[in-house]
Amino acid sequence: MKNQPKIGVLRFLGTNCDQDIWEACLATNLQPEWVWYQDHFEPSNFDAFIVPGGFSYGDYLRSGALAAKAPSMKDLRMAADKGIPIVGICNGFQILCEMNLLPGVLMKNRDGKFIDEWVDLEVCSESPYSSAKKVRYPIAHGDGRYFVTNEELKNLQDQDQVWLRYFDNPNGSTFDIAGVKTKNVFGLMPHPERALFDWMGGSDGQSFFEGFLK
Amino acid sequence: MTTYLIAVKILPRPEVLDTQGRAVEATLKEGGLNLEHCRVGKYMEISVNAENQELALNQVREMAEYVLYNPLIENFELEVKG
Amino acid sequence: MSDMELKDKLKTYRISQSEYEKINEVLGRPPEGVEWALFSALWSEHCSYKSSRVHLKNLFSKSKRVLQSFGENAGVIDLDQGEKVAFKMESHNHPSFIEPYQGAATGVGGILRDIFTMGARPIALANYLCFGNPKAHRMSRLVEGVVAGISGYGNCVGVPTITGQTEFHSSYDTNILVNALAVGYFGAKDPVVTSVASGEGNLVVYVGAKTGRDGVHGASMASESFDESSESKRPTVQIGDPFFEKLLIESCLEVIRKDLVVAIQDMGAAGITSSSFEMASKGDVGFEIHLDEVPLRDPSMGPEEILLSESQERMLLVCTPENLKPIQEVFSRWGLDAHPIGKVISERRVILHWHKEVISDLDPHVLTENAPMYERPFKPWAYPFKKSELSLSLEIKELKSTLMSQVKSAMGTSRRWIYRQYDQRVGAKTARDCDSSLSVQRLPESGRALSLVLGCRPYMMRLDAFLGGADSIFEPALQMAVKGFEPLAVTDCLNFGNPEKSEIMSEFVASLKGMSQACESLVSPIISGNVSFYNETEGKNITSTPSTGLVGLKENLDLPKDHFQNSGDEIFLVRLPLVSTWGLAGEAQSLKEFVGEVDFSKASKFVKAWTQFAAKEGGSLSTRLVGKYGLGYALFRMSTEDLGARVQFGEWAQTDRDWVKENLYEVLVSAPQGHLNVQSLQTHFGNDVKVWKLGESVPGQLEFVNQDRSQSALTTDVWLAYETGWREHFEKLS
Repeated sequence: MKNQPKIGVLRFLGTNCDQDIWEACLATNLQPEWVWYQDHFEPSNFDAFIVPGGFSYGDYLRSGALAAKAPSMKDLRMAADKGIPIVGICNGFQILCEMNLLPGVLMKNRDGKFIDEWVDLEVCSESPYSSAKKVRYPIAHGDGRYFVTNEELKNLQDQDQVWLRYFDNPNGSTFDIAGVKTKNVFGLMPHPERALFDWMGGSDGQSFFEGFLK
Repeated sequence: MTTYLIAVKILPRPEVLDTQGRAVEATLKEGGLNLEHCRVGKYMEISVNAENQELALNQVREMAEYVLYNPLIENFELEVKG
Repeated sequence: MSDMELKDKLKTYRISQSEYEKINEVLGRPPEGVEWALFSALWSEHCSYKSSRVHLKNLFSKSKRVLQSFGENAGVIDLDQGEKVAFKMESHNHPSFIEPYQGAATGVGGILRDIFTMGARPIALANYLCFGNPKAHRMSRLVEGVVAGISGYGNCVGVPTITGQTEFHSSYDTNILVNALAVGYFGAKDPVVTSVASGEGNLVVYVGAKTGRDGVHGASMASESFDESSESKRPTVQIGDPFFEKLLIESCLEVIRKDLVVAIQDMGAAGITSSSFEMASKGDVGFEIHLDEVPLRDPSMGPEEILLSESQERMLLVCTPENLKPIQEVFSRWGLDAHPIGKVISERRVILHWHKEVISDLDPHVLTENAPMYERPFKPWAYPFKKSELSLSLEIKELKSTLMSQVKSAMGTSRRWIYRQYDQRVGAKTARDCDSSLSVQRLPESGRALSLVLGCRPYMMRLDAFLGGADSIFEPALQMAVKGFEPLAVTDCLNFGNPEKSEIMSEFVASLKGMSQACESLVSPIISGNVSFYNETEGKNITSTPSTGLVGLKENLDLPKDHFQNSGDEIFLVRLPLVSTWGLAGEAQSLKEFVGEVDFSKASKFVKAWTQFAAKEGGSLSTRLVGKYGLGYALFRMSTEDLGARVQFGEWAQTDRDWVKENLYEVLVSAPQGHLNVQSLQTHFGNDVKVWKLGESVPGQLEFVNQDRSQSALTTDVWLAYETGWREHFEKLS
């Protein structure tokens, strides 16, 4: 276990879960550092990156599309190539998909409405971020319907890339998918940073952040 | 150099569920209006300076491919408006 | 000017003949040029409070916690330990009826700006909504649009919507109410700033979005009744951009916390006019403003349109000349412009320049302090529906079907469809969300609990304006007290009809009196708010609706629960008998009557006793203030799908009817076997209250037992009806 891993927390205009991620890092013995969207950075200075949720660029054009073109993302792509772990949460997941660092795309929810609620998730594939078979986090998104074609889905399954699945699909995602992963890039719609303490309604998010210590 | 006004028309790919189109279609049908099908997309107008129309179209096509549309879920068409 | 021309002019600018005469008097001449627009905006009801000021002065508004109150963008209270909160509520009724999505969205945007201009980071939003009969013309679309607007704006700016209240009644069919409340937080190091301008030679700086034609004449539009043409008034509706607002929040807080600004104010109603005149007036200084320098979205705009534009997401700030550059650097980092448009002068004059000419030069006091103040006629309150006893003509079906129809009714059904669309957790402070009986957030520095509850039950207002006014304070105060919170302060949004009608004005005065007395008895001052008059369409007035928002504090997050916890928990009722009514059940049968009266001293003691008791007991208890539809409905709301209750008839409810009766005020409490008893509760709450044990929680059933007869319902059935009732009223919204 490393001592105080350094986590780059990416910020774009309109990101709004950045401060929550920052606090969650501090609460779980991680050392967060801001990465501003206009700034270039040296990937190897960090142990991992989190792309937080929110409404980067107001979700205009398509959620995540404009942030995917930010100057800092060139370096994030390099970080991905170097095998440094990158986790995108909610809008962060949308951004990583728009960058093609993760397969698929996140579309408007099935009923066209934003949904905020707690969901139960099945952990289908191993990762440092969840050792349990089942976790409970809140979701809060309007564009959370994960979409891939059947062919692509088969690829995902063959390569063990389906990471998290909803028990009760809230948004119409293909194959109930709530999170996917590659070797070192992870994306999920639910918010583990909102499930850190019992007073929030659940604390499954603790083990998520502890994953960065592994 | 001439200034060209190019329209970019983006529609969801036919196989992809178009939630807005579905909602608009339902409302129109409930209103007693006669239609088969409705799809909702995006429309943009971009003006560029170029030597000729073909180059202008190429410039805008590059923009569309850079960020304006997402090939996983959308198709696009260009139209020269002027 | 001919008489005809004058008449036209007065009509265009919505200025009355007597106001015109007053303008002549204060100026010593008739108004000229853009002055018409200035007076129209600043002397409108919306900006000047001309019909309400005389009464608002009397509201209870002071306590040792109050740091800022009326006159500032929002009230601020001290929570000790260095923490403070700013909060305020505001109406956006007319715009939301015309264009529900944008109306509601910009209502949220406006109230947020009132909060962060004070230097507070917005941490919570709440909404008080009154819709008409679900079947009324356009109502489905209004509901859908308003909720989508709140959701679209609030979620995107990243401020959680943590509570709300939604009412339905035909009096709102053609005039819905959309009231938004925001709370902002100051940590120990965060300064509180005001809109008081000062410092000769300081710069007046325009920040945020460019000015467009949006909402020109909006303030005066909000100050007149609706007519058929309102629907075609769409062009004046403002469009909100939550993304831009988010950038404005971050950049404004950054310049405030770096101590770069002298004063700052949002450009809200009447835009740059009200912000510049008010800032100068409050600081007893003058402004010299070059309207040519105002950044425009549409270069063809003239000075009058610039002055009246209500384009969203704009602020006006005052800074020293040397701070301009650092301010511009901060804004530019967030992708925004900060543009100087004038300077502060020592003499109290606002001089407006346009194309190198002075187009207006006025003492700002003339427009702000000298605004007309009306003492509209009203009658002393006569308690029109007060009876010596309740009539027994209320017809009631057996309890199961009564309960089933209540939980499916528009007023009784779940609001999940609404609040599921709101991000309730962004900011990671939410400890109790919209699913709970009150919302709670954890204060970041001290770890204490802050709660926010909305009040005002329109059906109580229809019953009696004085009672309803008092209830709009006591009911939310008790909601938080039964969870261990001490109510600290109040904001309000006074939604009323046409104040020129004496019956409306009488209700206004009576309800304000009830509210103010209640606040005084609790030492919870009213520290901010707004008045929305002229909620009238074609002569029909809304229910007088003084909505409120209360903020309360508790030392920790160990709160009583909302639901029964284990089978066999004992259920008690603690009743302070003041007022009884058939309430909502009665209204449906045109039985409008009540008995008793509010005793302010007893009610406030009851609140305090609950705060103390619930704080001490914490999560071992479950508590619920009994409200709409009475005891039966409240018992259901304490149930879960698995756990119901078996309760007896008795002194507290002798007939079926008594389970729907509404008694102000009574509280249900449940606790593990042997944890509480009637005697200990009686000792704590004193002899003003009655305490009974009603029964205990049992698996799967809600059972009402009378000697020989038992009536029951399956909890799963009632829950299903409660969760699906919404769909029966709003078929298309599910």
